[in-house]
Amino acid sequence: MLDQLIYLFRRVFRNIRQSPVLCSAAVGTVAVALTILAFFSLIVINIQSLAAHWSEEIQIVAYLEREPSPARLKQWRDGIEAMPEVAAVRYVNQQEALRRFKSRLGSDSDLLEGFGAEILPASLEISLREQYRNRESAETVVGRLRQNPELAEFNYGQDWLERFEAFLELLRFGAVVLGFFLLFAALFIVANTIKLTLYARRDELEIMALVGATPWFIKVPFLLEGALQGALGAFLALGGSLALFQFFLRQGLVALLSVTGGDQIVFLDWQQQLLLIGTGILLGLVGSVLSLRKFVRI
Amino acid sequence: MIHLYNVCKNYQKDAASALHNLNFKIAKGDFVYITGPSGAGKSTLLKLLYCAEKPSRGQILVNGKNITRMGSSHIPQLRRHTGIVFQDFKLLDNRTLFENVAFPLEVQGKKRFEISNKVYQALKHVGLHGKLQKYPLQLSGGEQQRVAIARALVVDPLILLADEPTGNLDLEVTLEIIELFKKANARGTTVLLATHDQEMIRRFPRRVIALENGQLVNDSAP
Repeated sequence: MLDQLIYLFRRVFRNIRQSPVLCSAAVGTVAVALTILAFFSLIVINIQSLAAHWSEEIQIVAYLEREPSPARLKQWRDGIEAMPEVAAVRYVNQQEALRRFKSRLGSDSDLLEGFGAEILPASLEISLREQYRNRESAETVVGRLRQNPELAEFNYGQDWLERFEAFLELLRFGAVVLGFFLLFAALFIVANTIKLTLYARRDELEIMALVGATPWFIKVPFLLEGALQGALGAFLALGGSLALFQFFLRQGLVALLSVTGGDQIVFLDWQQQLLLIGTGILLGLVGSVLSLRKFVRI
Repeated sequence: MIHLYNVCKNYQKDAASALHNLNFKIAKGDFVYITGPSGAGKSTLLKLLYCAEKPSRGQILVNGKNITRMGSSHIPQLRRHTGIVFQDFKLLDNRTLFENVAFPLEVQGKKRFEISNKVYQALKHVGLHGKLQKYPLQLSGGEQQRVAIARALVVDPLILLADEPTGNLDLEVTLEIIELFKKANARGTTVLLATHDQEMIRRFPRRVIALENGQLVNDSAP
């Protein structure tokens, strides 16, 4: 058993040694394809993670017709806080609203001179628990709040949320479609490159079959070689995409997404890196299988 | 050892038969020439015997087994007991003589010391044991064919199939090659040698199966 394994690996390395150019072409193809894939994945992953970060700021603001009595306010707050989605409720009275508005206007705050606090409505700022920070939960809560006629108007960034969620959906869809096409193109190129290596060794394959080699005996070293090339290509892609990320992508995404500092822009985590290497191995294996079907006929 | 019953082979549906209604038997330990002009069907017949092709009709029994009904998973086993020699040698140019001859034994999963021993004996048998580490292209045509014969014989085959093995060689070398086939035959291997070289048949008379346009036209022993 051990003898056969050693023999198998000797054959794999002999094959690689005998056609280094073709072998490098296969590794290079996998590397380029996976680098492009990793590059787009990084963009999508970072936009998604920032989206998740932004959604943490989702809160519902319920504007009141008039300032309630303290007893009434307490009754409302207790009712709202009892909702499972709600993390906290903060009451902003008219004075506080005017003060905030003034501070937001900054040097233009003198525009408000002569106006009293009554021009702005009091409001309840309702923040949601982490798992409920999405449009659906916000709408559920607002639906319940609407039963209280004293609450006149609600704002939870619905337009912005809808557009943002649609954009994310499009981004995810685009990434899946692009990833699929990229993988398919890579598979096609890898299979053809491996086919070239097999074509260069067709005499060996023919002689093997003639001296009584089983199909698996012939195929396994080529499958291992394909997997090895795929893995090597994936490692190169990982290195390449890390370099691209460090030198270009991080700054590009910081500028594009207007985040402060590059800390929020992340590289692939270890599971995603493993997935990339697994994809490389799979590419090499499937590429070999597709090519071997044509060449190994007993 | 080898029985053919009404064997026909058509490569294309409406084309003329490459082999037509062949019937003959070859006993264990026989030495048989398959002869005929180019296109007579000699190579096709050998291909049927090592299962590179399937007959369109008829049955072929080799060593008691019907190889026409044999599944593809059993073909490697059949080939491990069959030595095959070609006109163009079919050696691997990027491997040494030792590695070329060791190839069938590696395929069979033999141990390394057994391989070394057998390969050395096989190359000694064909007089090339002094060139173990040479590459095929460093040898003459005759020497290359001797390596191919060593590769065919290293597995102690029951049957040796040779397709025009001396087609590219001069008379002197041809005589050396035929000697090797005779020695293998003397050790009990059944030899089928396809050739159109009448001089060879005249010098070493043996049973002759003559084909023409895929048909058996003569089956005679000296």
